[in-house]
Amino acid sequence: MADRTRRRERPMKRAFFKPSASDSMRTHSSSGPEKPSNPSATRSNFDAEEGNEEFTPIFGTCLLMCPVKERERRERLRDLAIFERLNGDPAQSSPSLAVKKFCRTISRKDLDPSDVRPAPVLEDTLNHILKLLHSSDHSFETIHAFIFDRTRSIRQDLSMQNAVNDQVIDMYQRMVKFHIISSHYLHECSETSYAVSMIRLNQEQLIKSLITLFNLYDIVRATSSIRKDEPEFFSFFLLLQLGSDPHNTQEPLSLWLRRIPYQILKSREMQFARKLLRDYRTGNYKQFIRSAEEEASFLQYCIIEPYIDEVRVLALSCICYGGYKLQPYPLLHLSKLLIMKEDDVESLCNDCDIELTSGENGKGVLSSHKVVKKCPESSQKYYSMHSERIERLCSLALQLL
Amino acid sequence: MAAYLSMGEAHWRITEYLNRFADAVSYQDGKSLGRLLTISSDSPVLLSLADALNTFQDSNRVIRQSDKYSQYEDILVPIFRALQSYCLKNLAESYIAFEKASNAFIQEFRNWDSAWALEALYVLTYEIRILAERADVELASMGKSPEKLKGAGSFLMKVFGVLAVKGPKRVGALYVTCQLFKTYFKLGTVHLCRSVIRSIETAKIFDFEEFPERDKVTYMYYTGRLEVYNENLQAADQKLSYALAHCHANKEENIRMILKFLIPVKLSIGIFPKAILLEKFHLDEYSDIVLALKRGDLHLLRQALQEHDDRFLRSGVYLVLEKLELQVYRRLVKKIYIIQKQKDPNKAHQIKLDVIVKALKWLQFNMDVDEVECIMSILIYRNLMKGYFAHKNKVVVLSKQDPFPKLSTRPVS
Repeated sequence: MADRTRRRERPMKRAFFKPSASDSMRTHSSSGPEKPSNPSATRSNFDAEEGNEEFTPIFGTCLLMCPVKERERRERLRDLAIFERLNGDPAQSSPSLAVKKFCRTISRKDLDPSDVRPAPVLEDTLNHILKLLHSSDHSFETIHAFIFDRTRSIRQDLSMQNAVNDQVIDMYQRMVKFHIISSHYLHECSETSYAVSMIRLNQEQLIKSLITLFNLYDIVRATSSIRKDEPEFFSFFLLLQLGSDPHNTQEPLSLWLRRIPYQILKSREMQFARKLLRDYRTGNYKQFIRSAEEEASFLQYCIIEPYIDEVRVLALSCICYGGYKLQPYPLLHLSKLLIMKEDDVESLCNDCDIELTSGENGKGVLSSHKVVKKCPESSQKYYSMHSERIERLCSLALQLL
Repeated sequence: MAAYLSMGEAHWRITEYLNRFADAVSYQDGKSLGRLLTISSDSPVLLSLADALNTFQDSNRVIRQSDKYSQYEDILVPIFRALQSYCLKNLAESYIAFEKASNAFIQEFRNWDSAWALEALYVLTYEIRILAERADVELASMGKSPEKLKGAGSFLMKVFGVLAVKGPKRVGALYVTCQLFKTYFKLGTVHLCRSVIRSIETAKIFDFEEFPERDKVTYMYYTGRLEVYNENLQAADQKLSYALAHCHANKEENIRMILKFLIPVKLSIGIFPKAILLEKFHLDEYSDIVLALKRGDLHLLRQALQEHDDRFLRSGVYLVLEKLELQVYRRLVKKIYIIQKQKDPNKAHQIKLDVIVKALKWLQFNMDVDEVECIMSILIYRNLMKGYFAHKNKVVVLSKQDPFPKLSTRPVS
């Protein structure tokens, strides 16, 4: 890799700074007195995730995607992922294929700078592994498992070095996007046991990465204006709160909103997310589904997807509960309201044990005044939106990474 | 800096302070002792002492000169340093020294019988928080990481532990709890309040009624706010109402702070504050909201929320207020029902969805028939209205008996 030799010439330290920064590691400086303080965004612990709390930052010196020692060890133990094998040989890899694995237990004394990859190397690594998403030779589960683990290792290396700059932020943004898109595809293949267990883990890492990203934004915000991507990522977090129980969260949503810079709250993406949240909490199922269809970006849609079905079930519940018993609610109209294919509406009704009747105007939902709940076996499967716009967004998905 | 101070005068001021300190302890005069510790208050006594310390330079020697006060050396040496640093505007240094003094003070406090020193301890805990806050501002402005307030929080927890014991000292625990609340709220680490709340509310050594009234009001105010943030509106109502009821009538600023959170809670159960109340306590950000609720005017509600968006978000009541939307719709339907009842009591309970669409349009809010039907179905489903809706006939039929049940803060499924 020609790039790497060039980089070796540059002093390690400088690789982490924006040109305008002073010649020392970036530290947190506060925003003006009007904003509530956010001391959690200090340099020493910007990483909410891997428990790398009290390390003094180190400078990584490993210039390969995988440290040589690790590669050789895993070749011996035949512990190579399919993407790391040279010509399919399970005991042979190469510097351009092997990628450092995530290590769950790292103690401070075991930390060797030659095992840690500096930010430019990590960027190359990220590029390399994300390309795999475009490969059609393997199932999504296989690809996802590999990228999931290796991105976790990238984040681990980054947090150990406490690097904070545009390049690092960009990497985190891409990793967040990876988790969001994965969530969409994992639900599509939800029949496999891999997907079922992975959905929750993927969600956990999504949230962890997002929180770390917010800390990075905070640190950088002191010396530069709000980046143009920030509002969208904040909208992701807000949309992730759709399903959460307000009585039972670590930090209540009201308090989180308090800390967000006003400029971001007023952005288009956040206004959209806030509107959706309002309609969700009010129970305005018509507006919720309609707004999601008309305005959500693909990534926002991936996050909203689970709640769309939830809101559809709410709609059915309301109709069952309060609809006029002698007039079954026409399925055709329902399909337009819920933006679903008629067949899908029927399936959903079956999932929820809702009775349908057939009349001269087509099928209808019978209002029986009973409680409606979606059957748990089918709860991982989502009904897509019967919308040209959404279908078009989904087809362009992978270009986002 | 003061005018020229002679060494003699400086020495005298220092010994004067030391004597007062020692006397306060031997006479068990908590209040006087407290007055000697209020570094951030800019009291004349302490300012003149600061001048003396700057002039004299070797105050430590003075402290060690007499047994009367040298026994408190561990407290006094850092207190002097804290005071000097504070007056020289080295706030971070001041905090560090003050924390050291406070730790030493706690050691002594543990050994003192009875609760005589609580007044002084209160001053200490207050000062530690204030100094930490100011130190953090200074650190942040220098590009350094502001972690003094976090440290103050840990110290306050330690103090809490010292007070959470059998005996007369335990009545001080609520004051310290309130200082902790203020610290955690400022830091944004509100979830840390949970453990101390649990101690206060479940530990056997504490009897809530025994705590001083003033502390109980503050405690209920903060815990009430937490309930608002967690949207436990019933609990929020209880706590904030308690705070209001027990708050001294002339503490207008405190009443205002309580009302700021209590009003949204009360609005959620359909209890409206009187206009004169809002006026008296300068809470006019709520006037349009109350008006919107009374009129059933959704446009006005959304506008009012928009206008005071920032304010409501900062205080954390925005989400509670947003949820009032359903009540606004309900109110509108109720008004239509009342009007129809006047025209024709027999048909009043049948309301055409088109009529609602028209009414909303008249209030400058555009909504199509499908969305109106959706809202009606939600109102019925959530028991805000009783009746049913007929899709084909585009009508909502209200129950003849009690179509609008009374609102409550109990969570709706």
